[in-house]
Amino acid sequence: MDSFINPMCAQVFSLPELIKEQYDDLEPKVRTVLSFQEIYNVQRIILTGCGDSYAAAMATKYAFEMLAGIPTEVVSAIELSRFYCQEQLGIDCRNPLVIAISHSGEVARIKEAVQRVSHFGCFVLGVTGNEQSSLGLQSDRILKLDIPDFESAPGTRSYAVSVMALLLLAVRFGEVRHRYPMDQAMDYRIDMRNQGNLLKDLLPAMDKASKKVAEEWKDFPCYDFIGSGFDYATAWFGQAKILEATGKFAMHINAEEWFHLNFFARDAGHLGTIIIGNTTSPGLSRTKEVIKYATRLGRPLVVITDGTKKDFAKEAVFIQVPSPKYPINMPLTHFTPVCLIAGYISALIGEKYGRGCEGNWEFSKDGAGVKNSEIIIKTQEDIC
Amino acid sequence: MLINYKIKTKYNDVFDITDKVKKAVCESGVKEGICLVYNPHSTAGLAVYSPWDPKGFKDLDEEIRRLIPTRIDFKHQHDTPQDAAGHVKSAILGISGNFIIHEGELLIGGSQAIYFLEFDGPRNREFYVKVQAD
Repeated sequence: MDSFINPMCAQVFSLPELIKEQYDDLEPKVRTVLSFQEIYNVQRIILTGCGDSYAAAMATKYAFEMLAGIPTEVVSAIELSRFYCQEQLGIDCRNPLVIAISHSGEVARIKEAVQRVSHFGCFVLGVTGNEQSSLGLQSDRILKLDIPDFESAPGTRSYAVSVMALLLLAVRFGEVRHRYPMDQAMDYRIDMRNQGNLLKDLLPAMDKASKKVAEEWKDFPCYDFIGSGFDYATAWFGQAKILEATGKFAMHINAEEWFHLNFFARDAGHLGTIIIGNTTSPGLSRTKEVIKYATRLGRPLVVITDGTKKDFAKEAVFIQVPSPKYPINMPLTHFTPVCLIAGYISALIGEKYGRGCEGNWEFSKDGAGVKNSEIIIKTQEDIC
Repeated sequence: MLINYKIKTKYNDVFDITDKVKKAVCESGVKEGICLVYNPHSTAGLAVYSPWDPKGFKDLDEEIRRLIPTRIDFKHQHDTPQDAAGHVKSAILGISGNFIIHEGELLIGGSQAIYFLEFDGPRNREFYVKVQAD
C-alpha cells in the first residue's frame, strides 16, 4: 500500500470539484441572505470564529475592506465573548454586523460570543452547516453551508468553503453598495469559481513537491510558518494542520515579527520553515528578507507562492499555487500545499489525526473539548 | 436589414447613437420606409433628446433619478439597488423608437438626437437597428 495515502490529502484532491460545486450552491444563497437595507446598514464588521474558522476570517478580512469599504475586525471568539468593549456593541442601529463562522454551530465560545453580542444589540449573520445548532438558532440570519460528506480529516474542505462563503459576502456587500458595477462583481465571482480549475492544473506538481518535502522533513521536531496579510492566514492555518495531523510543534508569525522573535530558534537545520510569499502581497519585500536570512541560518525552506523561483532568487523548494486574476481570491487555494505536507508527514510517521482522541486526548472526542465549556455572558460591568 | 451595434457605456451614461442609426439607414439603400431602433436590455432606455446644450443631459439624468431614485427598499433584491431602479426606469421610459425614412435619410428634427440611456454602467451593451422598406 502507498505509504503516502491519507484522507487529508484526499480532501485536497477533491477541492477543484468542490470549489465549483460550492460556488454554484453558495452564490445564490449569498444574494438573498441579507437585504439591501441590511447591507446598507452595516457600518462595521466583526468576523469571529475558532480554529479554522478564525483562520478563514483572517484570510478574508481585507477582502471586506477592499471590496465593501467597510472597516472589518477579526476578533477571536473568546475575545468577543469575554473582553470586547460593550460600549462598541449594538451601536448605530445594530452595528457592528457580527459574522460568526462555525461549521458545526456548536462550538461553546462562538455560542457564548453570539449570545453576548445579540444581547447588546448587534446584528448576527451565522455561517454554519447546521441551522438547528446554537449558532443557527441565535443568529438573525444564516448562510447555510452544505458541504458533501467526505472521509474525515483535519479541516480542509470545510476551510475552503468557509473562505469562499466569506469572499462571496464581501463581493456582494461591495456590489450592493455600488462600489463597483455588477459586471465587475461577476468578474470577481467568475475568477473565484475558476480557482478550482487553476488548482487542478497545478496539483500534480504541488503533490510531487509536497511528498518530497514530507519525506525529508518527517523527523523534524518543529515547523515554522511565516506570512503577512492574506498570507498570514495561510501561515496560521498551516501551523494548525501540522499540530492536528502530526502532533508536532508548530509556530506561526508574520514576516516582521519573525525578525523580532522566531529567527532566534536554535537547531535551525531541523526547523522546517514554510514561507507564504505571494507576489502581489504588499509585504513581499519583507518576506524576501525572511527568505534571505532563513537561508543564511541554514533552515530547510519551502516557499509557497503564485510566482516562481525567479521572483525570489534564493535556494528553497518553491511550490507554485494558483495566480488568480484578483488577489482577493488567493486564500481559496493557497493553503493546499500545507495540507499536503501535513497529511503526508502524518502518514509517513504513522500518527493519527488529533491523536485519535485516545488516551490522554480522550476528553476531546467528538469535539467535546470545544463544545463542552461553561457559558458565561459578560457585561462591561463584570470586566471592569 | 438588421444591424447590431456594440457599445461600452459609462455610469448613468447618455450615449449618442444618432450617427450609427443614420449610417445604418444610409447603408440599407432604403429610400422610403421605417427604421426601428431597439435596445434589448432591462436596465437601459432609449430616448430622443436635444443635443445642443450639454447641460441638458445632466437635467435629463437628474430628472430621471428624481422620479425614480435608487432606493434600498425595492422588492427586487436579487442584484443591486441601482439595478432595481434601472428596471423601473427602463420600463417607464421605454426601450425602442420608430423613425421615418424619407428620400433615403432618417427623418428627425434639427433638435433631435437618439440616445441610449444607461441606468447602470459601466456596461458592455448593444442595440439593434431594423430598416424596413415600404
